[in-house]
Amino acid sequence: MMLEYFNNLISGIEAKQHLGKSSARSRFALELARLGRGLYSGDGTVAWCGILAPFDLLHAMGVTSCFVEFVGAMLASTGTVGPMMEQSEQLGYSTDGCSYHRAVYGAMAQGLMPEPDFLIGTSAVCSAGLASIENLACHYGKEMLTIHVPIDDSPAAVAHLADQFREMTHFVARQTGRPLDPVRLREVIGRTNRMRELTLEVYRLARQVPTPARRRDLVNFGIVSALFLGSPGGVEVVEAYCNEFAEKVAGEKPGLADERLRLLWVQNRIQFANPLEKLLEQEYGAAVVADELNDINWDPIDPEDPFTGMASRALSVSFCGPAEHRLQVLLRLARDYRVDGAINPCHWGCRQGTGARGLLERGLREAGVPTLNLEVDCVDPRSFSEGQLKTRLEAFMETLSRRKSSGLN
Amino acid sequence: MKEKSRKIGFTCAYTPLAVIEAAGFTPHRILPLSEVADQAGQLLHDNICPHVKRVLDRALSGDLPDLQGVVFMNSCDAMRRLADAWRTARPTDPVTILDLPIGADDRSVAYFQEEIEKLATWLGALDGERVTGDQIVSSVRKYNQAATALERAAKSAAVGGLRGGRRALQELFNRSVTSPLDDIPALVEQQLQNNEPKKDALVPVFVFGNVLPDPDAFEMLASCGVHVVLDDLCSGSRQITELDVSRAATAWGDLSRALLSRPACARSLPSLLPGEHARRILSMAQESGARGVIAHVMKFCDPYLVRMPAIRQTLRNADIPLLTLEGDCTQRSLGQQRTRIEAFVEMIGGSPS
Repeated sequence: MMLEYFNNLISGIEAKQHLGKSSARSRFALELARLGRGLYSGDGTVAWCGILAPFDLLHAMGVTSCFVEFVGAMLASTGTVGPMMEQSEQLGYSTDGCSYHRAVYGAMAQGLMPEPDFLIGTSAVCSAGLASIENLACHYGKEMLTIHVPIDDSPAAVAHLADQFREMTHFVARQTGRPLDPVRLREVIGRTNRMRELTLEVYRLARQVPTPARRRDLVNFGIVSALFLGSPGGVEVVEAYCNEFAEKVAGEKPGLADERLRLLWVQNRIQFANPLEKLLEQEYGAAVVADELNDINWDPIDPEDPFTGMASRALSVSFCGPAEHRLQVLLRLARDYRVDGAINPCHWGCRQGTGARGLLERGLREAGVPTLNLEVDCVDPRSFSEGQLKTRLEAFMETLSRRKSSGLN
Repeated sequence: MKEKSRKIGFTCAYTPLAVIEAAGFTPHRILPLSEVADQAGQLLHDNICPHVKRVLDRALSGDLPDLQGVVFMNSCDAMRRLADAWRTARPTDPVTILDLPIGADDRSVAYFQEEIEKLATWLGALDGERVTGDQIVSSVRKYNQAATALERAAKSAAVGGLRGGRRALQELFNRSVTSPLDDIPALVEQQLQNNEPKKDALVPVFVFGNVLPDPDAFEMLASCGVHVVLDDLCSGSRQITELDVSRAATAWGDLSRALLSRPACARSLPSLLPGEHARRILSMAQESGARGVIAHVMKFCDPYLVRMPAIRQTLRNADIPLLTLEGDCTQRSLGQQRTRIEAFVEMIGGSPS
């Protein structure tokens, strides 16, 4: 079922490309679909991983790799997540858990997860993610490597993580029978650094007032791009964004015709179809211009010392370390993107991200960034309270509009 | 020698208590036992571990003894958030958080050893004594004596030989982490001198999970016909355990390895082999002679919630009945599930006393 879905998606996008109907977002979707096909085709080596695994390093070793939360998001976006949730609940998985992982558990039980050749769990970004990888390892009887991600970015912490990434290459080589090829790794790192440079430019362009990004252009962009790191397709995707946004900025073509309010989205987006973002645009001229997860805060990887660079990159993610680190990232984004307010969906079941809700709200408010905390399960649409959420969004937007018209921000 | 009544707060069973003790402080576990108002949700989120919320409630309400500082462990997402919130709730408290690896392999041991050494330095900055390897060994020995005494009490309670039963044992467990270390063996001895006959009417059950420090909860379980013959709770038998620091490495390294290899919370994987926790629960259930297993899992505790389906299946494969209770680490939440507990006891061959 999933392989057919990805094949259809690929052929559909490619057919449009032949007709000259291509956008950066469709190029992104194409790469995503190719990754999905790689995972589900049964060809090649597949690894399920934690979010902070070095996907470019795995790419260099010829492994198709992905974080498990991808499956939850994919099932939600295709409207097929409901039965997976029900299945996981029947098997004793509490509904208090994160629905990204509940969906994975249900999909695993229904045989809809591609069988991995091995697994790489990471202790960050969340406790549930590592436990989910462990569940998959048990279910498929496959070997799992656990990577402990430290809680700070001190030199000792970076070295500890870098050592584990180095050891990971031996583990992967044992699994695949293919040792790490230094020449290939150097090529991959070159592309990773190129992607970094281009992505910084994409974000610089997206910061323009008004932003050139359309409503869905950059949804899930940062987190999913990590899966493409070091691949030729990944470079093409980011180049497409760069070119498209540069053209739009030069031609003064905004993503939203009448941009009146600019918003920062905290944590992850709602993955299933919903009317909220459209409502924001149409009723209030409000564009989500910044995403917490669309951010680059790491230096280029040194090809002479790649593991250290990859470790520093992993530790730069805002979800690592204390909530204060995350708050500082959000404040920087709020400043750089000149936002009028922030929306935190408070994804149900996320102790890592949502757990700091009150601390983030307080910190943003003290810096003059009004914040709306919603209560949304970003994957499971069964509990989506459209009416309540609309009412709260409307009230927040009216407040922001008043603040703006009175020159308060 | 400095005044030993100076307390250092802690919240997780993985905390290197021996180092705190060796530095001249009394480790004081901030247990989630209090009647103060719920307010932690303002700083964190309502859907976060009740243990963490209750401890934070105590901090926000000032319901704490005089603490020289607080040590947190990076045991899970919720505990990290507690450390974050503490800095806001009590900005003048000296606070540190120790990173806690998942496994007990050599690399993790070396890394955690550095964390333990950092703790000693931090305690020194609080005017603690300089901690040496010999002092660690000496302190661990004292903790091991306490662990042995508590194990004796637990074994006695398991055969119905402890006055006050499992409730009294829990009170001992709680005092063992809030009283000076030297007092613990005497407290246990005192309790053991007052034996009482075994209650045959109760059904032997193995209880596992995370935090359940409320003695009333065990009283309530007993009133439902449950006789806890063994527990695997971080506020119970997993709290103070015997640590082996007699290996060839340094005392610091030995302590690091011993702590990482101790009976594991679901967040850890000492062997780094998937499914270890479920196998351990099965093994303990089988060895305990229990007729059934009760999982007390706090709401919103991801390390347990995510692993529960696999644990359930493992026990089912071995024909061991399991009752899962989601609670907030108090008797109050368990009380609401009394009917389920009674039905479970009846199913596994007993009746409410």
